[in-house]
Amino acid sequence: MTKMNATRLGAIGILMCGSALADGHIDTMTPAELLPLAQAEGSVTVYSFTSRIGKVEAAFEAAYPGIDLIGFDISSTEQIARLKAEAQAGVANADVIYVSDAPVVLPELLETGIIAPYVPPRVADRVPAEFQSPVLAQRLSTKVLMYNEEASPDGAPVDSLWDLTREEWTGRVLMVDPLQRGDYLDLMTEIVLRSDEMAVAYEVEFGMAIDLDGAANAGEKFIMDLFANDLILVSSTDDVNAAVGGLGQENPPIGFTSYSDRRDNEEEGWALQVANDVAPAPGIIFPAIVALSAEPNSPAAARLVIDFLMGDESETGGPGLAPFYVAGDYLTRSDIAPHPDAVSLDDFTAWRIAPAATAEIRAEIGDLVLTLQ
Amino acid sequence: MSDASLNAQGRRVLFRDGTILKAVVLIILCLLIVLPLIRTVLFTFQPDVIKAWSDVLTGRLSRNLFYKPLGNTMLIGVIVATGCMLLGGFLAWLVVMTNVPFRRTIGILSALPFMIPSFAAALAWGSLFRNDRVGGQVGWLQGMGLDVPDWLAWGMVPTLIVLTLHYFSLAFTIIAAALATVNSDLVEAAQIAGAKGRRILMGIVLPVTTPALVAAGSLCFAGAVSNFATPALLGLPVRMQTLSTRLFGMIEVGQVGRGYVIGILLVLISAAFLWIGNRAVSGRRSYATITGKGGRARRFDLRGARWPLFAVAMVILLSSTVVPIIILLASSFAPSSANLFSNWTSAYWVGLSDPSFAQGIPGIAYNPDIVRALIVTLSLGIAVAFTGMIVGLLASYTTARYRTGWVSAAITQISFLPLLVPGIAFGAAYIAYLGAPIGPFPALYGTFAILVIAATAYLLPFSVQTGRAVIQQVGGELEESARITGASFLRRLASITVPLAIRGLSAGGILIFVKIIRDLSLVVLLFTPTMPVLSVLAYRYASEGFGQFANAITIVILFISIAATLLANRLQRKSQPWLED
Repeated sequence: MTKMNATRLGAIGILMCGSALADGHIDTMTPAELLPLAQAEGSVTVYSFTSRIGKVEAAFEAAYPGIDLIGFDISSTEQIARLKAEAQAGVANADVIYVSDAPVVLPELLETGIIAPYVPPRVADRVPAEFQSPVLAQRLSTKVLMYNEEASPDGAPVDSLWDLTREEWTGRVLMVDPLQRGDYLDLMTEIVLRSDEMAVAYEVEFGMAIDLDGAANAGEKFIMDLFANDLILVSSTDDVNAAVGGLGQENPPIGFTSYSDRRDNEEEGWALQVANDVAPAPGIIFPAIVALSAEPNSPAAARLVIDFLMGDESETGGPGLAPFYVAGDYLTRSDIAPHPDAVSLDDFTAWRIAPAATAEIRAEIGDLVLTLQ
Repeated sequence: MSDASLNAQGRRVLFRDGTILKAVVLIILCLLIVLPLIRTVLFTFQPDVIKAWSDVLTGRLSRNLFYKPLGNTMLIGVIVATGCMLLGGFLAWLVVMTNVPFRRTIGILSALPFMIPSFAAALAWGSLFRNDRVGGQVGWLQGMGLDVPDWLAWGMVPTLIVLTLHYFSLAFTIIAAALATVNSDLVEAAQIAGAKGRRILMGIVLPVTTPALVAAGSLCFAGAVSNFATPALLGLPVRMQTLSTRLFGMIEVGQVGRGYVIGILLVLISAAFLWIGNRAVSGRRSYATITGKGGRARRFDLRGARWPLFAVAMVILLSSTVVPIIILLASSFAPSSANLFSNWTSAYWVGLSDPSFAQGIPGIAYNPDIVRALIVTLSLGIAVAFTGMIVGLLASYTTARYRTGWVSAAITQISFLPLLVPGIAFGAAYIAYLGAPIGPFPALYGTFAILVIAATAYLLPFSVQTGRAVIQQVGGELEESARITGASFLRRLASITVPLAIRGLSAGGILIFVKIIRDLSLVVLLFTPTMPVLSVLAYRYASEGFGQFANAITIVILFISIAATLLANRLQRKSQPWLED
C-alpha cells in the first residue's frame, strides 16, 4: 500500500470512527461492523499480564489481516504503575488492558476512569453477570501450590500449607516476590483474611492450638514462619515452574505458581501438578480482567480484540481462546465446556478472592512482607 | 580616535554578548538539572507523601527499606573503590613506569572493561556460576558437575567481583594519565641521590599521584553505589537489596514517594563521598606536578618479575574482557547454559517464532520489539551525542571565555552536579519532573523526547569536560581577532571554533553515544513498552529467564560500543599519552 493510500484510509477511518462514536453505536457493533473501522485504524496496542499475548497476536492477525496487534507482556503490578503514570501524563499508549490484580485495578484504574469496561454484545448473554460487572472477566486464573508429579506420583508431598514451615522444606519453597507481582501479594493477603481457617489447619497439622508469638493472627504468623524458613523469592513464575516442575529431579522444591502453567509441561519438560488437597486451600483463584483504556487510539480495533479474546462460536472458543483453553484456566463463557484435564471449578479448593476486602489490608500485608525480606 | 570608539563599541558588544550567553546557558542548565532535582524533593514533601520519610528513616519498615540496603551499598562502594584503586593503580604503574612486556596491549585492554556494560559482565557471571538455588537453567560450572555454593553464585561476592572488574578501568585511565605526568627530573634526582625503588614510590610517585588516586577512588565509589544492573541481576535472588534496587522496586510497584526518598538519600550519600574526595585532593594542591618538559624517566626494570607480572595483568584483563565476551557469545547460541559449548543453535539470533521454543519468542533479528528497540537506542545515542555536545560546548565556551562572575561559577558547578546523582535516581527525578504536564507543555512520559533530555542532562559533566578540552585546544587569539573584526557569536562559533575543534567534538560525541547506548540505570525507569531501548529489554529478558536473548542483545550493544570507541580513539589518539614510547 502506498503512503498516500494509507493516509487516505486513515483519514477515512478517523472520520468514520468519529461518526460511529458520535452515534454511540460502537459499543453495540458486531465484529463484522467493527472490522472495516478497525482495519482503517491499522494497529492496536495491548498490555497483557500473560506472555500468551504472543499467541493471541499471531491468531488475531491471521483472523483479521490488515490490523497489526502490538502486544506487550507486562506484569499486572507494572501495568498499574505505568497506566497511572501515563494517565497522569495524558498519554494513552495502550488500547486494550488485559490484567489481573483486581483488588488494585478496580479502585485505582476502573473507578478513576483510567480504564473503561466493555462487554462484546456477541457474548453478553453467555457470560454470568458476576463476570460482566463492574468489568469483564475473561477467565479465572490462579496462584496455587504446585508440586512435581514425577517425583511424587501418589499426590502432593504436603497435605497442609503449614508443612511448608517445617524444616524439611527449608530453602525449598519458591514463590515470586510479592512486592514485584501483585497476584502474590493478593495470595498473602488472602491467607491473612482466612486466618480462622489457617488456625484450624495449624491445629490439625501440629495437634495443638497456634501460638501467635507476636503475630496479629494466624495468617500473618504463617507468612512470618514461611519467610523465616528461607523461602526463595524469584522474579517470574517461569522460574518457579522450572525449579519445581523440572523433570529428572530426585528431591524437587515446591512452589506457588499458576495452575495453568501445567499446560507447558510437555513443551518445557516439566511435571507440574496442583496440590489441590492441601489444607486449608492451595491458594487463590481470581479474575483476569479485560478492558478498554479510557480513550483508546484505536477504539474499533480495541473492541475487536476484546471480542476476539472472548472466543468464537466454535465448541472451545476457536483461536482467540485457544491459548486459554487449558487445564487450570477457568473461562467465564458459560457455553464453553470446562477443560477435561483440570479439576472442575466446583472441586477446586482454592480461595475465591473478594477484591474489596483484599484491597483494604493489602498495603499493610505488603509492608509486613517488606519487613520480612 | 576611531580605534578608541571601536574598542568601546567592542566592549559594549562583548558585555552584552557575554551576559546573554551566560544567562542562556544558566537557564538551560537549571531547566535540565536543577529543576528536576528540586521537583523530586518537593514531591516528597506533599502532605500525603511526607509520611514516606518516616517510613524510610524511622518506621518499622526502615530496616529493610533503607538501613540494610544502605549497609550493602556502602560495603559495595568501599570494597569496589579499594579494589579498583589497587587493580587500576597496579596496571597503570606497569604500563607507565615499568618495562613489562606488551605494555601497549595491556594499556588498550585496561581501558576496555569500562566500555562493556556492567550488566553484560553480570549476565556472563550468571551463565558461568549460576547454581540451582532459584531453579531455571544452571550455569556452565554447575553443568560440568561442580557444586557452586550460593555465596559464589549470588549476592555480595559476585557483585563485588563483577563491579570491581568493571570500574577498575576507570581508575586505570585516571591514574595512568597522572603517572604519565610525573616529571622524570624528580625521579632521576632521587635515583642520583641513591633512593631505592620503594623510596621513590612512596616519596615521589605516590604523593604526586595522590589527587588522581583519590579522584579514581571516589569516582569508582560513586559508580559502584549507584550501579543498578549488577546487584539487581546477581543480588535479588538471595534478597540482597541495595539502595538502587530498592529505589527501582518501589517505583515499579507504584510506591513512588518511598522510592523518591530513597533516591534523594542515595544522591546525598554519593555527593558526600565525592565532596570528601575533592576536599582531600584540593588540600594537597602543593603536590601539583611541576611544570616544564622533563624527559620520560628511565623505566623501572622489573628484571625477573617481568613475565610473572605480565601474567598477573593478563589474568585480570582477560577475565574482565575476553572471558565475559566469549561466555556471552557462547550462551547466546547454547539452548542450555549448563552446556555452553554444545547443541548450538542460531535460533536466538535468526530463528522464526516457534510456539514450542522459548514461548514463541522469535530470534532477535526477527523480533519486532528488539528491532524497534535497536532503532530507538541508536536514534537516542545519535540525538544525545548532538544535544550533549551542543550544550557541553556552549557551557564550556561560556566558562572559558567569561571566567569571572558568579554566573560562570554557577554554570561550572551545576554542570558537574549530575556526577553526584546516580543514574537511577536521575531517571526517577525526570519522571517527577516531566511525567506530568507543566503549564502549557504536555507531559513527556513515554516519549523519545524525555529520553533525550534526561540523557543529555545526565551526561552533561562528561560533555562539558570534553567541550572544555576542545575549547582549550583552540587558541583564544583567533576567536578574539574575529570578534574585533565584528563577527557575531554564532559566526565565530561556526567558522572558527567548530571547524578547528571538529575532531575533538566528534570523538566526544561518539563517547557520549557509547555511554548512553550501554546505559541501563538511567533508562530503566524512563523505559515504556512503546519506547523500548536495548539495555532494558536485555535486562527484562534476563530477569524473566530468557538469558540467551538477553545475551544476544548484549552482544549487539557490545559490538556497537566497541566499534564506536575504537573510532573515537582514532580521532583523539593524543589523549592517551601513556601509550607513547
